[in-house]
Amino acid sequence: MSLASLTKPWAPMSYGFLDASAKRELRRKMIKAVCVPGCQMPYASREVPMARGWGTGGLQVSLTLIHPQMRVKVIDQGADDSVNAASIRRFLARVSGAPVTLDTLEADLIQSRHRIPEEILREDQVLVLQVPNPEPLRSVQPNMSIARQMHGDADYGRMWLQLYEQIVRSGRVMQGASYPSMVNGRHVMTPSPIPRWDVPKLHMARHLTILSAGREKRIFAVPPYTRVEPLVFDDVPYRVEDHGGLTCYRSGTKGFFMNEIPQGDGSSAYEVSDSAFGVKAIRTREGKGIEMGETWYKDGAMTQ
Amino acid sequence: MAYVATRGGERAIEQSERLFREVMGAIDATRVAEIRAAMPYLIDRVVGEASLYDEDLAALALAQTGGELYEAVLLLRAWRTTQPRLGVAAPVEQSDLFTHRRISAAFKDIPGGQVLGPTLDYSHRVLETDVLAGTPFYPPKVDPADTPAPAYQPSVSAWQAANDLVDLPEPDTTKGEAIPDVTREPLLFPSKRAHTLQSLARAETGSVLALGYAAMRGYGQAHPTVNELRLAEAEVMVMHPSGTVFSAGRVKVSQAEVVSKQGETLGLGFAATFGWNEVKCIAAATLDLNAKGAPKGSATEEEFFLYHTEGVEASGFCIHFKLPHYVTFQSSLDAMRDAKAQKLKEPAE
Repeated sequence: MSLASLTKPWAPMSYGFLDASAKRELRRKMIKAVCVPGCQMPYASREVPMARGWGTGGLQVSLTLIHPQMRVKVIDQGADDSVNAASIRRFLARVSGAPVTLDTLEADLIQSRHRIPEEILREDQVLVLQVPNPEPLRSVQPNMSIARQMHGDADYGRMWLQLYEQIVRSGRVMQGASYPSMVNGRHVMTPSPIPRWDVPKLHMARHLTILSAGREKRIFAVPPYTRVEPLVFDDVPYRVEDHGGLTCYRSGTKGFFMNEIPQGDGSSAYEVSDSAFGVKAIRTREGKGIEMGETWYKDGAMTQ
Repeated sequence: MAYVATRGGERAIEQSERLFREVMGAIDATRVAEIRAAMPYLIDRVVGEASLYDEDLAALALAQTGGELYEAVLLLRAWRTTQPRLGVAAPVEQSDLFTHRRISAAFKDIPGGQVLGPTLDYSHRVLETDVLAGTPFYPPKVDPADTPAPAYQPSVSAWQAANDLVDLPEPDTTKGEAIPDVTREPLLFPSKRAHTLQSLARAETGSVLALGYAAMRGYGQAHPTVNELRLAEAEVMVMHPSGTVFSAGRVKVSQAEVVSKQGETLGLGFAATFGWNEVKCIAAATLDLNAKGAPKGSATEEEFFLYHTEGVEASGFCIHFKLPHYVTFQSSLDAMRDAKAQKLKEPAE
């Protein structure tokens, strides 16, 4: 037996870019995150060939989970053709050989920045959300070590107070995206800057969601069939964006989260934010026989 | 009718990268060697911030990025991620440093002597415009001293400790793999001493200067006196699997020790980095000096300055604001419009 037969041939980088020790750490932290839903797990977070803040946390999770048979979809603000989504998709495919797709139904792994697709995800699918700021308490406590203690004590009083003050000042909760949500009745997490529209999709979802912040070095997770409840007062119901009645001017779909496109005449047009869903709707209308998945929202309202 | 083809985005990013690279033209080994030879202090800054000591790779990173420093450091850090950690070198003691420059502002003279070494400190900052007119600048010859300065010297704080002026921290005896490594573990607070010093060593020079300067101006409690500033070369001693200890080469290092009166004794701040980076070391040591007992949320609190001087993270987050944010923006608009509509409605009721 020769030494050469025991070793692998030299390669400029490991499969999936990250080395084995980095992947092992990520796997361990992901398991911990699944075990304590919504609780932020610190991890070392390696530098990857992309700038911090551009999805390096999501990328490290995807690189750890990926294998050559895994079909990958990458979206940014709902769109597959956004330049950064295209760049991440190209990188994932390049270092793993994994096939890529734009269709939510075909994807095994979906890495997303700030949106959850409109079609219901299944138990065999994993959603990886890119997270710029993992700390829901940041606006009331910028110091991370104090915030960590507050989570330990389930001390969310200031969070509630902030929401209450918004109602007093503005007549409603003014939180836009990143709506703070209680996970499994214990940890308040930020769902990442997804619109309020998408938060109910996480509640008792069939799929696993992993949220990863590369720059801030934190991983947290929403395991399948876990409660995710937006922080709301009993007498002030949670409100998603008022998009239920809007119609996409391109695909004709109605009752989904929309992008507002300012028009020259001062008005606005709307196009459906989930771009692959819009494309499928157009093809279906053209009689192409495309499979459309069940959607979380029907006629602009949550079905479950 | 269809959406913008997915290929469109990919083609656009490819062409924009080409536009950027076109300006720099071809990159060959000669260019990299020239950068390395002409810009040693830029290389020093980059190897320090990248926490990767390789002057050739640093020069290559600068060539590839056209001198965009944040990009150059990121390139090196990402390359570093792909490299296995083969071993841990022996700790470097101050007295073992092959010293080129070593000065103290605390005393007129110090054991081992003040050694100015290479510096622009006392130069007149005048541009040699004749160079542009075609007359090359030839540096004047250095006249060697009659007696060379000793290459190895004790630290000034060792003398101070002997004279009961400063309480030196207990030497850390952690060895090898047991030394906490901030590139393999998350930075948590209160931070491990090793993590603090490693983070300062990797910190972005400008950010360390800004926060260190704020502390110097009065937003810190302690005014630094430069006890000792050193530019040196350190021998990298590693152990061969057969048990032989040998030098894998020398690396340029710089370190600063600053002190300040704290009651009846001197408080000590320390920083060291790869490469000769004097400003960064003094500023970082000043932050270290001020960290003890700093109020939460102040610029001299460890959590504050370690997070905010991490250049790769800071620059990355800053440029990420160029990414589309229309979903989050739309979500805010919705809340704003609704609140406004309610306000308009209320007086009528």
